[in-house]
Amino acid sequence: MVVYLLKRLILAVPTLLIASFFIFSLVHLAPGDPIRGMLGQYQDPELIAQLRKAMGLDLPFHVQYARWLGKIVRGDLGISITVKRGAPVAELIAQRFSVTLELATFSLIIALLIAIPTGIISALRQNRLSDHVSRLIALAGVSIPNFFLGILLILLVGVYLRQPWGAGGYVPISRGLGKNLAHMFLPAVALGTAYSAIIMRMMRSAMLDAMSQDFVRTARAMGIAPWDIVRRDIVKNALIPVITVIGNSIGYLLGGSIVTETVFRLPGVGNLVIMGVFRRDFPVIQAVVLIIVVIRIFINLAVDLTYGMLDPRIRYGGTS
Amino acid sequence: MAREIQTGEYELGAHRTLLQEFWRNFRRNKLSLIGGVIVLFYGFLAIFAPLLAPYDPIEQFDAPPGMRNPMPPLSRDEDGRLFLLGTDKFGRDILSRAIYGTRTLLEVAVGSIAVAMLIGVTMGAIAGYKAGTWIDEVLMRAVDIMLSFPSLVLAIALVGAFGIGKIKLGPITLSNIVKIMLVIAITYSPRFARVMRAVVLQEMAKDYVSAAKISGASSARILLKEIFPNTIPPIIVQASLMMATTVLTTSSLSFLGLGLQPPRPSLGLMLNEARDYLFWGAWWYVVVPGGLITLAILGFNLLGDGLRDALDPRQARRRR
Amino acid sequence: MSGLLRVENLVTRFYTDEGVVKAVDGNSFHLDADEALGVVGESGSGKTVTALSIMRLIENPGRIEGGRILFLGQDLLRKSERQMRRIRGKEISMVFQDSLSSLNPTLTVGTQIVRVLRNHLRISRRDGWRRAMELLAAVGIPEPAKRVSHYPHQLSGGMRQRALIAMAIACNPKLLILDEPTTALDVTIEAQIFELIGRLKGEFGMGVFLITHDLSVVASFCQRVIIMYAGKIVEEAPVEELYENPLHPYTLGLLRSIPPLDGEAERLESIPGEVPDLINLPLGCNFSPRCALADERCWQVEPELSEITPGHRAACWKVKSPAATGGCHG
Repeated sequence: MVVYLLKRLILAVPTLLIASFFIFSLVHLAPGDPIRGMLGQYQDPELIAQLRKAMGLDLPFHVQYARWLGKIVRGDLGISITVKRGAPVAELIAQRFSVTLELATFSLIIALLIAIPTGIISALRQNRLSDHVSRLIALAGVSIPNFFLGILLILLVGVYLRQPWGAGGYVPISRGLGKNLAHMFLPAVALGTAYSAIIMRMMRSAMLDAMSQDFVRTARAMGIAPWDIVRRDIVKNALIPVITVIGNSIGYLLGGSIVTETVFRLPGVGNLVIMGVFRRDFPVIQAVVLIIVVIRIFINLAVDLTYGMLDPRIRYGGTS
Repeated sequence: MAREIQTGEYELGAHRTLLQEFWRNFRRNKLSLIGGVIVLFYGFLAIFAPLLAPYDPIEQFDAPPGMRNPMPPLSRDEDGRLFLLGTDKFGRDILSRAIYGTRTLLEVAVGSIAVAMLIGVTMGAIAGYKAGTWIDEVLMRAVDIMLSFPSLVLAIALVGAFGIGKIKLGPITLSNIVKIMLVIAITYSPRFARVMRAVVLQEMAKDYVSAAKISGASSARILLKEIFPNTIPPIIVQASLMMATTVLTTSSLSFLGLGLQPPRPSLGLMLNEARDYLFWGAWWYVVVPGGLITLAILGFNLLGDGLRDALDPRQARRRR
Repeated sequence: MSGLLRVENLVTRFYTDEGVVKAVDGNSFHLDADEALGVVGESGSGKTVTALSIMRLIENPGRIEGGRILFLGQDLLRKSERQMRRIRGKEISMVFQDSLSSLNPTLTVGTQIVRVLRNHLRISRRDGWRRAMELLAAVGIPEPAKRVSHYPHQLSGGMRQRALIAMAIACNPKLLILDEPTTALDVTIEAQIFELIGRLKGEFGMGVFLITHDLSVVASFCQRVIIMYAGKIVEEAPVEELYENPLHPYTLGLLRSIPPLDGEAERLESIPGEVPDLINLPLGCNFSPRCALADERCWQVEPELSEITPGHRAACWKVKSPAATGGCHG
């Protein structure tokens, strides 16, 4: 198990390196001079030269990359140019990270709490009314964009029902956990719905797959109690492919949180990157995108490890 | 000579029955038929937008005395013009904007899928044909890296690099809409590359390819004349499934303000504007564009699922 | 002497999109304690469906449509699902074909055996594990203390099949159904497994219902044999009797298709033609399209399974009288 973990960690390093290189290159892919682009109307030649030097843009490309990477490894994500002039990007992200993390985690929890049981019940009651209903809801869930759902929820809860927690905006935890969570609830639902629908569909089809396996028939032939068959034969085996989907679709939650933060006016990292794009603040864009990709890669790693724990065939390699 | 004609006819016949079988499988699934109808409806809307829209989508109308824009559905202005679905904040007709917005959305989605297909299919075909060589390794590594980005995050990063609005790439000026197509095409091309590579590998293992190789046909000829026709169905299925995702990403970008720019009618942008009028209760401002996006995604999802199941009925039976 | 198992007029059908599959079509047979009954036929002849019907494990779109399955004098078809659960794995047990797919890949072999034990017997977890180890030892798995905590994929095919048998016999069932338990295994392991089952049969007086398409396995292991074709029993006889005096033309064809053990003769004659479609069965005898002896009556009227000599039944118009059998040998 330890060897497996180490192997996976080492394999993640080149992926991270290339991803970081790709993100770094984005700035240089930018048409025109990035500095001019950033400054917009303040095209002061002296300022341009100064910034150029300060950002190391006068150095060869590979040196720039090496310096950038070196700083990042030490936790220095650069200095913001236009979003908040002179502020360390790391600080900007740190201020906002907890909001995004809370949003993503909250919606992940809600999504899984709904998706897994619904998927199980739907498969066990295949082609009955409850199955059809939950499949239709899931179909609607994967089709509705999270920003539309979010606005609808605000309209319904905040406007028509006049609930203060339904109108968007962020309440820090310092003003009470209950209030904080209440304000996070609708964003989490808006973000988690499509994700939940994807997982539910996957859980259902994985269950149906597992139910048709030979070992389920064996268990029935041994007179094992139905709940035990569902738990240890069907659900346990169905979860293996579902875990992969849970992990692979985490990217959706990360990307979707950017949109959801905009809908509900939450001061998160997504909000920061949008400001970065509007104001062409490259250090901010680079840092946020890099962080999201790193999180994604590490979550995939964690998922693979969970996978290994659930599936002994992977944990122990081939036959011994 | 006579025998050659015979085999040719035989193949033609086999092809026809395959198509017939495909249609039979497709037709059996009611939901995919509904998806097809929805997609046709959108095609109709997009093609005949100028005929269907009652007003110019950017023409602004004044609200009659005692009313303010945005006006609710079935309102009239002083000259008695009817706004079936109401007006937006500038007094523009929502119905006309929604129809043109749908047209633009489909233009961008279809355009970017076409470009993504072109890039991805070429990459995948080369990688598959040169499987195991360094070319394959490099291409697939690039695909892996791009897939480690959540797609919306990658699209946002690319917009960040290119800048918002139209851009100059040396002597060429790309309009904003072409740039967005390009951004989304780059984002989704890796998925086509993966599918294409897998199909090419699968086809290469078949006898007819080795026969062609032995008979001394050139690589390009084998790839184009022998393998390529067999890759079309899975690529089409992938494309129709990707249409749903592309519609979502395109409208998400527009919603964030990073996509289509005003005054061009865009469904995503309409939703963004509508947020400021939620507390006026301007539900039509939200429901019309949001509903159109959702229905489009639903239609493409259903159609894509149906196509996939019809091409691979054995898999489909397990999924059901 | 009503015997251990008595199946009467069993009818099992599958209602598929393409039509009604008559998988088992009105069969009757019996099986005594301490007896091994071989069931032979090509795939699709209804062997496995018969076994699953006895276990009441027929799933949608299949249905047991008629007949009686008397186990120790009680009709299993009248039992509730809850009662059946108490019988399955305890009174009647079944070993399936593919040992890799028949074991849960996410549970250790020990867990899967203990689970059966604790499901049917009042036994502590600790005693369960001890018993599981004993069972693994009993089926001839070396180092049972180690193997008990292994996952199925960590065992060899032969060991997995033994583990599956260990699970099936964990509660000393009175009837053991084996569905081609050795198809994937090599001959030495096959022999070991049958020796093991034979020993258990003698020890516990267990009845064995052995499904196979291999007549040579039947010859060495079973006392009686049933030949099935297209959902019907076409012949039933004690093993020696069947070999010495096969009556049904299909049996004859099967016997001819066995390569002789010493390998002297190279001739391996298979029966020409294909197994009929179970949805559109022929009007008369199911075998008539492939039968060299078939005539008008065979095509039109279905022959009944009837006793030709004591203990020897066959369903063929050509073997009505003992005198006619000579002709069949040709």
